[in-house]
Amino acid sequence: MDIVVTREETLSVFALRGRLDAVSAPELEERLNAWFNEPAANLVFDLSGLDYISSAGLRVFLTAAKKIKSRNGKLGMSQLKPNVQEVFTISGFIALIPAFESLEAALEAVR
Amino acid sequence: MKDLFKSRPDRKNQNGVRPGRGIAFRLSLWILLSATVIFTLVFGYYYFLTRQIMIRKIGQHAVDVAQGTAARLDVVLAAAQKIPQNVSVLISNPAYADHQKLVDLMTSVLKNNADVYGMAIAFEPYSRDRRKRLYSPYAYRKADGIADTLITYDYFSWDWYRLPALRSRALWVEPYFDEGAGNIIMSTYSVPVYRDVSGRNTFSGVVTVDISLEWLRRIVAEIQLNGRGYAFLVSQSGMFVTHPDQGLIMNQTIFDLAQEAGDPALRRVGLRMTTGESGMEELKGFRNGEPCWLAFAPLSTTGWSLGLVLPRDELMTDVSRHYHLTLLFGTVGMILLFGVVLWVARGMTRPLRVLTAATQTMAAGNLEVPIPAVRRQDEIGRLAASFAAMRQSLQTYIRELTRTTAAKERIESELRIAHDIQMGMLPRIFPPFPDRADMDIYALLQPAREVGGDLYDFFFMDENHLCFIVGDVSGKGVPAALLMAVTKILVKSKALRGVSPSEILRGVNDDLAQDNPSMMFVTMFLGILDVRTGETVYANAGHPSPCVIRSGAGIETLPFTGGMALGVVEGFSYRTQTVKLQKNDALFLYSDGVTEASNDRNELFESMGLNTVVGDLKTGDPKALIDGMLSRIEAFAGDEPQADDITMLGIRYYGTER
Repeated sequence: MDIVVTREETLSVFALRGRLDAVSAPELEERLNAWFNEPAANLVFDLSGLDYISSAGLRVFLTAAKKIKSRNGKLGMSQLKPNVQEVFTISGFIALIPAFESLEAALEAVR
Repeated sequence: MKDLFKSRPDRKNQNGVRPGRGIAFRLSLWILLSATVIFTLVFGYYYFLTRQIMIRKIGQHAVDVAQGTAARLDVVLAAAQKIPQNVSVLISNPAYADHQKLVDLMTSVLKNNADVYGMAIAFEPYSRDRRKRLYSPYAYRKADGIADTLITYDYFSWDWYRLPALRSRALWVEPYFDEGAGNIIMSTYSVPVYRDVSGRNTFSGVVTVDISLEWLRRIVAEIQLNGRGYAFLVSQSGMFVTHPDQGLIMNQTIFDLAQEAGDPALRRVGLRMTTGESGMEELKGFRNGEPCWLAFAPLSTTGWSLGLVLPRDELMTDVSRHYHLTLLFGTVGMILLFGVVLWVARGMTRPLRVLTAATQTMAAGNLEVPIPAVRRQDEIGRLAASFAAMRQSLQTYIRELTRTTAAKERIESELRIAHDIQMGMLPRIFPPFPDRADMDIYALLQPAREVGGDLYDFFFMDENHLCFIVGDVSGKGVPAALLMAVTKILVKSKALRGVSPSEILRGVNDDLAQDNPSMMFVTMFLGILDVRTGETVYANAGHPSPCVIRSGAGIETLPFTGGMALGVVEGFSYRTQTVKLQKNDALFLYSDGVTEASNDRNELFESMGLNTVVGDLKTGDPKALIDGMLSRIEAFAGDEPQADDITMLGIRYYGTER
């Protein structure tokens, strides 16, 4: 699992590649916690490279969504692969984190 | 040194090192080899050098001896030469015209000169007495005194008479056997005598002295040479004059010997001797095959040459003994050196052997064995210290390991118990309702670890309503298991109040979401089957939709309801929906552990087409369906370890009349 973080003043993009499962979820959680220690409020997950997400991965997304909501930030994600989209859809979490077709659209919505 | 060999028989067993392969032995061996090489080189150089010096000295000495001896012989021979020279002057006196006077003169000369064997005065034919052609009185030694005679043979053709006349000077003639006069082998010095005849100096005869070769031989034999060395004389022609081997005398020349032996060195010696040189040559053999040196010096009187034969081995005896002693000392020294080095090296490596023994004991598992104290500051001392430290670390490590193993075992045991408890919470007796013929239900939960986050449950809410759930807690392990237990109890407590699926889920969701800082969530499908009609109401909280297996038709997936997983958003409203089961229709519920079971190529089981697989198994009862599914999943995953809990639940509805 690769995590590439791009920071701007008020907005950061987490580009995830590979599998987000019980093994890699703690790493993402750690990176997110580090990010939450900084003032930036808005976050976009670029999921164009994410092949798989497990329930442990979903939990990390939910945690992030909750924290961002508590600090009045905005969260979005973009370019979900069909199976990832399906997981979000089935679990209902697609209602909690807005998904966009493109990264630009996500950035636009979150900024 | 004694204990060095004492333990040999069991040493192999003790250290595992074969005798002769140890460090000490190899060190000693290499030092010994090196020292031997050095010693041999030094000794060889020393031997070569001293041998050269010895040969030079011996050669010089031998030449000195030869020249000295030759000079001594010359003195005697020169004295003998004077006699005929004097006599030749005397006899010109008319007083010696008388025969008897002449003989008396000769006799007295012999008496006064013990070195001379005989003496002759020979005259030209008829020159002394007109009646006598031969006139030559001869005096010589006999055993009982001095005798005199007249030479009766025709002496004019003999060298001792002819050569002085021919060459008009005194000379030594080659040795010869004087038959008829002296009757011995002799050498003769002959002086020509001239008288004045009508104003002309005319040859009138010779005066000779004879030297017995026997006498010469004795003189030469008296030359003291060590051991088997000897001296010999050769004449100007190379003929042996004296030699210890009588057979050579007057019989062979030195050139004959050189020819016989095919020895050019000997021939060179012969040439140098007969041309009056002095010197020394090394010969491979002379007469016998024994290597020798031949020193030689000329006799200035006769022109002969004196040779000294010195056997090489004999001359080198002292040197050889010296060398042998040196070699002996060297060898003994080497053996001593070997012993000392072996002793020292074994002393140095003794701690190593003790350490080896201790290590072997340690390797066998006894870490309590004491590491012998080595009070040395060198590498071995450090090694011993490292060993002690290593044993300490090993002990600590093993203690630690024992402790963590015990802790791990305790945890594992607790997990096993937790597993049993968790499984005990699930209805696991099948068939659960043996007296019911209107439906059949079967379920299976196979955790990926000891405890898991999946759950299933089923129970009758009343006589006719069967509530059944399949759920999946996010994550795995103990946290998931705890939440699973809580969820199951919540569901049951809410369901037994007899409300609709959406209300049950809503109640559970609110309870879970109230305080959920770690955002754990539960996906769940909950259905309620009215066994009288086959009508099933259900709600879904983020769980994969079950399959409906229509008897005599296809497989369909229940429509998606969009319900949120439990525990995330408080107050979320779920929707209840309805599906009607006909007789022999079945429902297949599962968790994502089924669809996401993966093989070693990272392919997911759902890629096989879940409905297709289920369709293959649709004719059997629920147990056959679920066992079939499990065996297909296992066949698909192969050796790939199970990543997620696998839960399946099947219900077949038979209706009230079968």
